[in-house]
Formats: sequence, C-alpha cells, structure tokens
Amino acid sequence: MKKFIRRALCLGGVTYAALFVVFFFDLDGKLLFNVVEPFLKNHYDNMERKDMLTTPYDMDKFPDYKYNEIH
Amino acid sequence: MDFKKAVKDFWYGKPHTAEDGGRRLGENYLPKTGLYKHREWRGVKDTFYYFHNIWMYNYLHMVMDVMKYGGLVNFAKGVWRYRWVGQTYLPVLHWFDRGLEGMRGEALRGSAWHYRAMVNATIYQFMAMFNADTRLHGGKKNDAWYHTMSMKETVWGGMFYGWRDKFKAVALEMIPYFVTCHVNSHTVHNYIDAVQSIGLPGDPCPMCQAEAGLFVLDDVPDYSPFMITCNEACDGSVGTAILQDWFNDKPLYALQMPMIFDDPLANKFVQKDIEKCWKFIEDQTGVPMNFDLMCEYIERQNELQKFEWEKWEVAAKTNSYPINGVAQALYRIYQSQFGDLPIWHEVDGHVRKIMERAVRNKTNTFPNTRHRVIAWSCAPLYYSNWCTWAYNTWGLNVVINMDSLMFDMTIRTDSYENMLEDVAQYHMWAPMRRMAVGGIHHIFELWDYMERFDCDMVAMYDQLQCKGMQGVHGLFEDEFRDRNIPAFWIPHALPDSRTVSRAEIRRLINDYMTTVMHEEPLDPSLLELDDDFTW
Repeated sequence: MKKFIRRALCLGGVTYAALFVVFFFDLDGKLLFNVVEPFLKNHYDNMERKDMLTTPYDMDKFPDYKYNEIH
Repeated sequence: MDFKKAVKDFWYGKPHTAEDGGRRLGENYLPKTGLYKHREWRGVKDTFYYFHNIWMYNYLHMVMDVMKYGGLVNFAKGVWRYRWVGQTYLPVLHWFDRGLEGMRGEALRGSAWHYRAMVNATIYQFMAMFNADTRLHGGKKNDAWYHTMSMKETVWGGMFYGWRDKFKAVALEMIPYFVTCHVNSHTVHNYIDAVQSIGLPGDPCPMCQAEAGLFVLDDVPDYSPFMITCNEACDGSVGTAILQDWFNDKPLYALQMPMIFDDPLANKFVQKDIEKCWKFIEDQTGVPMNFDLMCEYIERQNELQKFEWEKWEVAAKTNSYPINGVAQALYRIYQSQFGDLPIWHEVDGHVRKIMERAVRNKTNTFPNTRHRVIAWSCAPLYYSNWCTWAYNTWGLNVVINMDSLMFDMTIRTDSYENMLEDVAQYHMWAPMRRMAVGGIHHIFELWDYMERFDCDMVAMYDQLQCKGMQGVHGLFEDEFRDRNIPAFWIPHALPDSRTVSRAEIRRLINDYMTTVMHEEPLDPSLLELDDDFTW
C-alpha cells in the first residue's frame, strides 16, 4: 500500500511538473500554432463545399407571414 | 547580480516601471507569432494562481463543458466540419493570455472569471448547434433540430425566453463570426473574402460581409427549422438577411427595428412587430409564448443587470474595480445580448466576492493608472485587448466603454403590457444602434458618462466602414476641442485586421501619448511589436 501511495505521489508530482513546463513555456500555444492550426487549415482549404450560388432563391416557397390580425 | 532584487522579483514579479529592472513584457514574445518564449512570471502567488485557477481550470472545464453539452464525438465532428470552430476555439487560452497580460492580484482574478463565463457560453452554443446539425447526423432532422431556434446575432436572446423550457435559441453568427474575431482574428478573413468573391463590393460593413460570407462558404450548421432576421444595426444587415434568406432557404421572420426609436409611436410599432414574431414562432413550433416563463427569465436577467449597476458604482467611485477594460467590454456585451444563462450568475457570484474584498481592503487594482479612459463607439474585434496593452504600456486604464452601457435598464414583469413595452425598448437599445447609428442624442451621452465614471480621457473608435459613424466624426472633433477633452482615435474595420493592423493602432496611440500628452511609456518593450501572424 505504501509503495502504491509513493508511486501515485511520484506520478502526480511528475505530471504536475510536466504540466507546469507546458504552461510556462507556452508549449500548448506552440503546438497549436505550428502543428494543429496549419493541419486543420489545410483540411478546411481543401474541403469540398456546396456551390451556394446554385441554390434557387425561392421567393414564394413559404407563406407570407404578415400577421395583420395582430393590429 | 543583485541577489536581493532577484529574490524579490521571484516572489513578487518584476515591478511595472520604465526604470531599469522593471518588467519588459514585450521581450517575452517570439517575433511575429505572438507566442511566448515563456509565459509571464507574475511572482509566486499570481503565477500559480494563473497556472491553477486559470490555465488548468479552464482547460479542464472546457472538456467538461463539451461533455456536458453534447459529448466529445459531436465536438470532434464539428471541429472537422467547420473552420470557425477548429481554427478559432482550440487556442482559446491564448485569448486569456492576451487579455490578462500584466494583470496582478484582484484585477487578474476578477477579469479571468469573465473569460471563463464567455468560454462556457460559447461552448453551450456551438454544442447546441452540433447536437441539432443535420450535416453532422447523416442529414437526419433529430429532436434537437426541431427544438432549436435560430436568429440573427443582433436579436436579443431574451426575445425567446417564453419557450426556454422546450427550445434552445442560438444565434446564427455569434459563435461562427463575432466571438471568433476576438479569439483568432484570421478566421473571419475567409468569410469576408468569400462574400466579395461573389461580387459584393469591399466597402460595406465588414460585419455584415462576414455574416453573409459564412453562408457563401456553406459553413453554417443546419440546426433549426426556421430563422428570425433583423435589420439591426443598419441596412448592411438587411443585405446580409437577403443572402441568408437565399442560402438558408427556410421560413423566415424579419424582425424590424426603426431607425428613430425614442418616439413612443416607434415603441408601439416594435411591440406589435415583436408580437407578430412570437406568433410566427408559435406557428412554426406549435407552442405559444409562455408569459410566466418569459417573466421568470426576465427576472433572472434583471438580477444580472442589478449587479452590473453595482459594478459600475465601484468602477465610477473607487480605484478598486477588479475588471480590466477588455473583460468588462466583452463580458457585458455578451451577457446582455445573449440573455440569461446559469454561468453568468455563477461568475457574478465569484466576481462579487473579489470586488467586495478589493473594496473592503481599499486595494488599488490598477496602481499604475495615469488616465481613466472611457472607450466610445464600436471596438476593433480583432484587437479588443488593446486596452490591456495600453494599461501596460502607458497607464491608460479603460474604466468603462460604450458597449457596456447600452442596455442600461431592467424590464418590468408586473403586467404583459409593461413587459412588452420594456422588451421593445431593450430590443431597440441594441448594440451599434442606440449609441452608434441611433442618432446624435444617444451618442453624445458620452459626456455624461465621462463625468459619471470620473474619466479624463476618451478612446474614440473609428469604424472606417460604418457610414453612420463616419458621419459624426467631425462633430466629435469639434466637441473634444470645445470641451478641452484629451481624446485619441482608434481607426479600424471591426473584424478585418487587414485594413488597420494592430501595430498601426499601437503606433497611433504611442504618437498621441508622446506628441500630445508628452508622457513616457511605463514599459518601453511594448511600444513596437511585430505580431501580424498572431491569433
């Protein structure tokens, strides 16, 4: 049991120290800026998208919502 | 090496002074990127507060929020499908960093809570979109789709309180456009360019361009059976609504907002129009507006307004207000425009404790204040944290701003008639209307608020593509001269950082502070930065 607690404390301590290093040296920002964002941008730039200009502009598709009876 | 000073700097952080040995925040940056060589050392207490209570707390709570509001799978699908979420919201902690740079003590704590609330509200909304989005669910219209309403971001969320027990109301552009500009200023360029690529000239309001551009790029989730549009702030929004009507292709109600709104007859007109809008929603959903529910949520929102008034009192009458300029502006406009959410109440509770402690201890929360500044008109979305920079560099403490002051009212719930009249008034006091294109009377309320908040300087925003505000530029120049008020202009193109860069804004303020005010910077390392590529 003592060994387990010692190990858990050790692991906790190492994790805490590693997180502090990530925080202090802005490693999260550097990863996102240099790796994640360029990868995602490349994906979005090459996505197939619907040509919205082919959408018909249906002027009379829906009823005329005037609600004149509220006057 | 001065060992005593090194220990003191380690324990308390370097002092905020231009003298040798003072902190030099500009030296922390990697060139162009805005990334940090290392995050700021704020002394032991504040550095670990930032590490535990801001950095770790917010990363953890972001994951928890995503899980609570719809799960990691829906989130991952949304990130893969929509540029505005993947490119923008993953580096959100850098948004905190930029806004909270140089802050210490109670100002750091109070301001950070405001950011936490905005992150929660943002996740709540995009997860609501993703849960209902037919594109992420194989084209199926699920239950969430039938129980989510969509509206233009300039429609106040409170308009839909009467359906809150059964329906969610999520604005079409608030998260895909408005909030993105603050977090990652580059994402929006895709949408502005997209709408110009189909033939729109480049000079209309870039907000309206970006809102329409989202639809041109087919980058808006399909999460609702119908939509409500609005002509607020101006005819640019009418143009946006026409494109949205075309591309979204759903039943639409165009909620109106008259240009002249102080007239009681205009209020009556808007009341009728709001009732028609509610009837439209009833027809679409089969559920009538629930007056008791409406009043219940309005009362909750009134609580938020009452606390905001308390905050304004502290900001106006003491040096102990623990919220910096950017946190004040963004939190307030977000909260008052979106309407009631549990996170606003939770955060206000935290901020109340911090503020009361600061007042009780007479803590000077911004001890290097040289000028108490009021910021007026619409701010540059891509550089909303300019006021953090201005305090760190010049001691310019932006105490209050126009966006905070617009919805300066509570709403009566004692009768249907009074409620409707006040809801109409609130609707008409919308952002960019009451104190921007809403007429000379309200925009000149600046002088009263300057006195009320004990300000001695004005930061005057100059939205270069807002034809309404361009029309009053000269009048302000005349008034500033007549009243002998120190004022500097911040030109910008709202979301578009390519028209006036952040570096150009800083240069204009630097020039004003040296040539007109004859002052020396508090941190010379911040005067000139190359941060063009930063989020």
